[in-house]
Amino acid sequence: MKKISVYVIGGIFLITANLLVGISWVGISSGSEQDKGKELYDKNCEICHGIKGDGNGPAAASFSPGPRDFTDPKFWQNNVDQKITDAVENGVGVMPASDLNGDQIKAIIDYMSRSFKPAH
Amino acid sequence: MSVQKLKSVVIMLSVVVSFALLSLRDAHAVPSFARQTGFSCSACHTVFPELTPFGRHFKLTGYVISKSSKNEYPPVSALVQASYTEAKGLKTNVDPYDNSPLARFNLPQEMSLYYAGRIIDHLGGFIQVSYDGVGNDVALDMTDIRYANTTHVGKTNLIYGVTVNNNPTLEDVWNSTPAFGFPYAASSVATTPAAGTLIDGALAQQVGGIGAYALWNDLIYVEGSIYRTTRKGITRPLGAGTEVDMVVDDAAPYWRVALQHQWGKHSLSIGTYGIVARIYPSGFTSGSTDKFTDTALDAQYQYISKKHIFSAATTWIHERQNWDASFALGNTANMSDDLDTFRMNLNYYYRSHIGQVGGTVSYFSTTGDKDNLLYSSNPVDGSRTGKPDSNGFILEAAYLPWEKTKFSLQYTICNKFNGARSNYDGSGRDASDNNTLFLLVWLMF
Repeated sequence: MKKISVYVIGGIFLITANLLVGISWVGISSGSEQDKGKELYDKNCEICHGIKGDGNGPAAASFSPGPRDFTDPKFWQNNVDQKITDAVENGVGVMPASDLNGDQIKAIIDYMSRSFKPAH
Repeated sequence: MSVQKLKSVVIMLSVVVSFALLSLRDAHAVPSFARQTGFSCSACHTVFPELTPFGRHFKLTGYVISKSSKNEYPPVSALVQASYTEAKGLKTNVDPYDNSPLARFNLPQEMSLYYAGRIIDHLGGFIQVSYDGVGNDVALDMTDIRYANTTHVGKTNLIYGVTVNNNPTLEDVWNSTPAFGFPYAASSVATTPAAGTLIDGALAQQVGGIGAYALWNDLIYVEGSIYRTTRKGITRPLGAGTEVDMVVDDAAPYWRVALQHQWGKHSLSIGTYGIVARIYPSGFTSGSTDKFTDTALDAQYQYISKKHIFSAATTWIHERQNWDASFALGNTANMSDDLDTFRMNLNYYYRSHIGQVGGTVSYFSTTGDKDNLLYSSNPVDGSRTGKPDSNGFILEAAYLPWEKTKFSLQYTICNKFNGARSNYDGSGRDASDNNTLFLLVWLMF
């Protein structure tokens, strides 16, 4: 009985200690105000499409064909908003579908248009 | 519950909860692959552990795709499973007709810690250490450490790599091969058919091996590996904690070839795999060996959209058994036997705003040569007819309220068991007596 009590108490202590640390970490994780579209792009798209939107993200080299280059003028032709929305919602090729909602997708499109769309 | 088991549960639970709370740091509790990439679990999985095309790509490129050039913290995850089994006679009890509640309810069924993700650039791993709540022991479980890179052949892409792992087909990226094939979890206490092919899980952690693979133009996959026993030698760490009771003599070569194609929301693969191994008879580690040659075919289809997931997977394994040693020992009636295993499963899941709901219908079949010494009469797990033939269905319904938690209810229907439908063991037990209801709660952290 003594051995059981030691291990149970020790386990409860560990769990309680971690619970307290975990709660404090949750507070730290909340971010400051920033461009929502950029934040969403960085989190969901940059890994493949790159920080510059040129299709050269950290994971890009392993894909064939590679990720779309958003700095290419041809990408921005022909109903691009719907094209981006379809790709994000349903996936395309190896690109997985996401669980982003309509407002989040629109924010990403706005960010991409401001940041990557060629001037002409 | 014994003192030793309680101690193990408390220690493991503390560690698991630690990792669970660690995951709160991102305000989204996600396993280590998801933390590393920044993607949700659904990027790589339809319903875990089944992989999407992106998930297969992630595995082939060495588990290293990451949102950052360096790991923010070690890629660790945890798993807890709890289960309840309802069946007539459970194999953990000496009396096969004991239906004690303690034998049916397993908390935990399993607890695991994973190191899963990038180690350094181009080198990653999937390393699992598990506590078996039924057997009450801790051992190194699935392990796959791989180096991978990409290059170009003309205008086409080539992914290539080297894998070190401890279970043939564990390194495979399709869910139509045994290691990650359906059923993904099953009762540890229910009675199961006597016969199974070597490549169908029998070598898990009994061997360690190294192999090379390549995927060309997202079309053709080839792999060749060599496995050796984990009882001794350089491969011994890959079987840490596991009793090696299936000792492979020398090296066992494994091969894999697959064709895959993706179009729109659809993907399809067909392939072949196999292994040749010489195994010492049970209790021996020297002298003559038996030879097993497994040759298999497999195929997988997936349709993945935002709301609907449909997939189908099938495999057929043919095993040629040459009893060069066992026949001389009087353990088999024949010099050689053939054994065939067939499985097909159909899966459908619907992604709703309250989670994923769906299930699987699976058919299994084992057929083989009659061998009265290999398959002898014995209460519960024997064969009156001397044949290994078993078949039936597995029906599973599952609900995932969020991506890292799965509740599943699985019902196994045994139509034929160890060679017969009725009185299969010679002691009055029917195949339907092994029908099993299995409730599983599967938590990932």
